[in-house]
Amino acid sequence: AAARIKVHELRGKNKADLQGQLKDLKAELSLLRVAKVTGGAPNKLSKIKVVRTSIARVLTVISQKQKSALREAYKNKRLPLDLRPKKTRAIRRRLTKHQLSLKTEREKKREKYFPMRKYAIKA
Amino acid sequence: MLPVAVAKKGDAKAQAAKVAKAVKSGSIKKTAKKIRTSVTFHRPKTLSKARDPKYPRISTPGRNKLDQYQILKYPLTTESAMKKIEDNNTLVFIVDLKADKKKIKAAVKKMYDIQLSDQPN
Repeated sequence: AAARIKVHELRGKNKADLQGQLKDLKAELSLLRVAKVTGGAPNKLSKIKVVRTSIARVLTVISQKQKSALREAYKNKRLPLDLRPKKTRAIRRRLTKHQLSLKTEREKKREKYFPMRKYAIKA
Repeated sequence: MLPVAVAKKGDAKAQAAKVAKAVKSGSIKKTAKKIRTSVTFHRPKTLSKARDPKYPRISTPGRNKLDQYQILKYPLTTESAMKKIEDNNTLVFIVDLKADKKKIKAAVKKMYDIQLSDQPN
């Protein structure tokens, strides 16, 4: 594939197409590596970087599609660990917002019957 | 072993009478004391269940990172390697460190459609 690989085009393809493209790119890369060893032309050698980054792009798109499909599949079910939010270990162990907001019946009644009053003083 | 029901306080006497009757009739079996033929105690085999996770810990197993493109990196083109090509009908490749001979054989077959013969080295 000579033309520059565009990611938004890649996202439109399906999994089989992406895998096929990946194979082609890898085959091209192996040829370029052979050319590097056998003293290839500079235009071939400079292409190595292009092909490597294209392979990276395809792999990224494949992985992103896979992850999003999995998240769809696991909706409203217990998530596997790598689909849960990563954040930091400490943050994951904190109380949730809901848990922090819980109040006892006593406290709720107190707030209801003895709220904080606001006064204004007339000068 | 003993036929124990949930006894109320008043039934204690009745239960005692019941048990006495059972003992007399011989319906209560005494478990025979197991004889041990060895001095060492070996852990008895208990039920071991296979894994059946309620959710997978990793959503998908990772892709195989040692595929044929990764195994065969590039051929050698040194003088001695060239000699081997001409004289011994062999190719010399630089190969990934983690590949073993079987994987290399499979990779070459896939990449270049060659049939490899079993050669020393």
